[in-house]
Amino acid sequence: MPVEVIMPKVDMDMAKGKIVTWYASEGDFVTKGAPLFDIETDKAAMEIEAPDSGILHHPAPEGTDVPIGKPVAWLYAEGEAVGAPPASYGAEPAAASPAPAPVSEPEPARAEAVAPAPRGDVALSDKQRATPRARALAREAGLDLDGIPGTGPRGRVQAEDVQALLDRAPAFAAPVAFSAETGPLSVTRTKGGTGTPVVLIHGFASDATSWAPLEAQLKHRPIIRIELPGHGKSPKLRIANFAALVKDVRRAFDDLNLEQVHLVGHSLGGALALAIADTRERSIASLTLIAPAGLGPEVNGDALSGICRANRPESLGPWLRRLVADETIITDSYVRLAMAGRADPNLRAAQSALAEVLFPDGVQAFDLRAALERIAVPTRILWGKQDDIIPWHHALRAPGRAALHLFGGVGHMPQIECADEVGQLIKAYI
Amino acid sequence: MNAMTKTELRELSYAEAIREAMDIALASDERVVLMGEDIGVYGGAFQVTGDLVEKYGTDRVMDTPISELGGAGVAVGAALTGLKPIFEFQFSDFAALAMEQIVNQAAKVRYMLGGSVSVPLVMRFPAGSGTGAAAQHSQSIEAWLGHVPGLKVLQPSTPEDAKGMLLAALEDPDPVMIFEHKILYKMKGHVPEGYYTTPIGKAAIRRPGKDLTIVATSMMVHKAMAAAETLAAEGIDAEVIDLRTVRPMDRETVLASVRKTGRLVCVYEGVKTLGVGAEVSAMVAESDAFDFLDAPIVRLGGAECPIPYNPELEKAVVPQVPDILDAARNLAKGRI
Repeated sequence: MPVEVIMPKVDMDMAKGKIVTWYASEGDFVTKGAPLFDIETDKAAMEIEAPDSGILHHPAPEGTDVPIGKPVAWLYAEGEAVGAPPASYGAEPAAASPAPAPVSEPEPARAEAVAPAPRGDVALSDKQRATPRARALAREAGLDLDGIPGTGPRGRVQAEDVQALLDRAPAFAAPVAFSAETGPLSVTRTKGGTGTPVVLIHGFASDATSWAPLEAQLKHRPIIRIELPGHGKSPKLRIANFAALVKDVRRAFDDLNLEQVHLVGHSLGGALALAIADTRERSIASLTLIAPAGLGPEVNGDALSGICRANRPESLGPWLRRLVADETIITDSYVRLAMAGRADPNLRAAQSALAEVLFPDGVQAFDLRAALERIAVPTRILWGKQDDIIPWHHALRAPGRAALHLFGGVGHMPQIECADEVGQLIKAYI
Repeated sequence: MNAMTKTELRELSYAEAIREAMDIALASDERVVLMGEDIGVYGGAFQVTGDLVEKYGTDRVMDTPISELGGAGVAVGAALTGLKPIFEFQFSDFAALAMEQIVNQAAKVRYMLGGSVSVPLVMRFPAGSGTGAAAQHSQSIEAWLGHVPGLKVLQPSTPEDAKGMLLAALEDPDPVMIFEHKILYKMKGHVPEGYYTTPIGKAAIRRPGKDLTIVATSMMVHKAMAAAETLAAEGIDAEVIDLRTVRPMDRETVLASVRKTGRLVCVYEGVKTLGVGAEVSAMVAESDAFDFLDAPIVRLGGAECPIPYNPELEKAVVPQVPDILDAARNLAKGRI
């Protein structure tokens, strides 16, 4: 039985994805975990890894739009009989051709279109595979099976997968103590793109994946994402103060060893971008600060500690909704995925400890206004006028040299809430 | 004290336990008669009736001519007219010859006459493979008869149950078919003395476990138990259910176990397709226990062919301990 390679769901409101590039061709042996193809959605471009090892057959042609969950190729074992290629990728055979077939269409071709060998499972892959017990558990817990990673055969969600998700929410808040780690920060980059790279630094309690909507706008440039200590895949470093945090992030930046970059930072990442620009000015082609920290004392300490403390979707959801102006974009399944990403209590503890250092008593303990005054690189500041985390009027403290863009009806996450407009603005510079 | 200890330790073979049940029944109820080919002086094809003819005479232990249809017809008629016959087939395969009497008469008369008569008949069928007796003397046909409303179909797997179920069958006003596995006849086990019954329609949990449920019948119970021991050493805790009665099936015991373990293997010697395991599987799939399944149901049944004469092939066509081990490991490790 060949392994289906399916179009993954990589962001919350994605319905289909376009195959951009294959890294292997028909008949190539591919290794599990190796980059297999790039996809592009309405919002993002992403590299997808091979789900298994095997010989690649029937990859969907580049440029094809494939609905999520539908196969885009099949991986066969060596010597395994290879089925016929599908008539189309992701089109539902019954629904796609309800109209009478043209009279001239030969009968055998139609039969094949309905049931070529590897398509036996195609109809099944419409739905998340799950055992009855997993479904019952999820139903009881009010969980949606979508987004729960299945570890059973062919990605089937089994009871232990649901249980693991439920177990990851301990009964009490994250402990303040955490076991510190060492090592370089996580740096990831997109394939493709030419010219001056764009370097992205995310905000507190976020991670590199939060850039996906914006990246779609910037994909003509190489994109590099740095993850903060205790965030995403970065080690949970013990951070003494803001200066120490700057040092760690700057080391990651220096290790990129790039002559010129467009630097983009959000919130705490904005403050860090500003600090890096202050000391690496010659490397910065442009600086984009999205709702940056460091321009005033106020910050929504309740939201920060609420997010750090939350150990289940029910407690995380209300705080995540505070981040945006239109709460409806933070769906329940988005919250659950976000919680799954914050499931590690040690990660939450590391972030709590960081918040304690950077935002003691709910106050921004660092001030970068002087740095903003000093630097001469082209700078723009973007802010949502309904930002409930850092007040937008901090932007008014910027020198006249910096461009200021204020978005009505947008909260603390312009790069998600109005990714298109933010992307257009940044593109104008780069 | 001494007598009690003796009772607890007493062991009989499966065949001896059946003989003891018949002895008790013959002694205590004059309506009970034994019928069958060569059950008198010869002692039965598998020496189950033994010397009962010497004790009770040829009026109570009757050799019948070599005609299963004729013998079964006499037994059904005797049951209709006030006796409680225990009819022995030499091999369960020969039930094919008596199907008219079993299926069209014994099972249906009570229904067709509005409950005004009953057929208190017990039939005993030496069944199963493993004796080198080839295709026409080795089948497991319990599912054939299990398909017939009006019959009860039992498959005792231990000496204790063989005795208790036979005595329970004699208490039943309707025809009861008992399949006795030929390989089990020599198996020894604890058998209580005196009169007792083992309830019809009640499965036995032979080994409690939490990781998966193995529902087995007859000889397969012993293979499942052997497999469960090996699995326990590997950290897989299998619950083994001895179904004991094919019809009526003990729904509650099976469903409760599946609700607990979430995984089910059915092991039976009869041909896999449309066999006892198919019914067990369907019963689970149709019930609320469905929601507790955490893997597909696995059936291990006989191969889709007659039982071969060659001893190696004969073993290969029915489930063996390694087959149960494979299925259980795959299930417990989430590979299927």
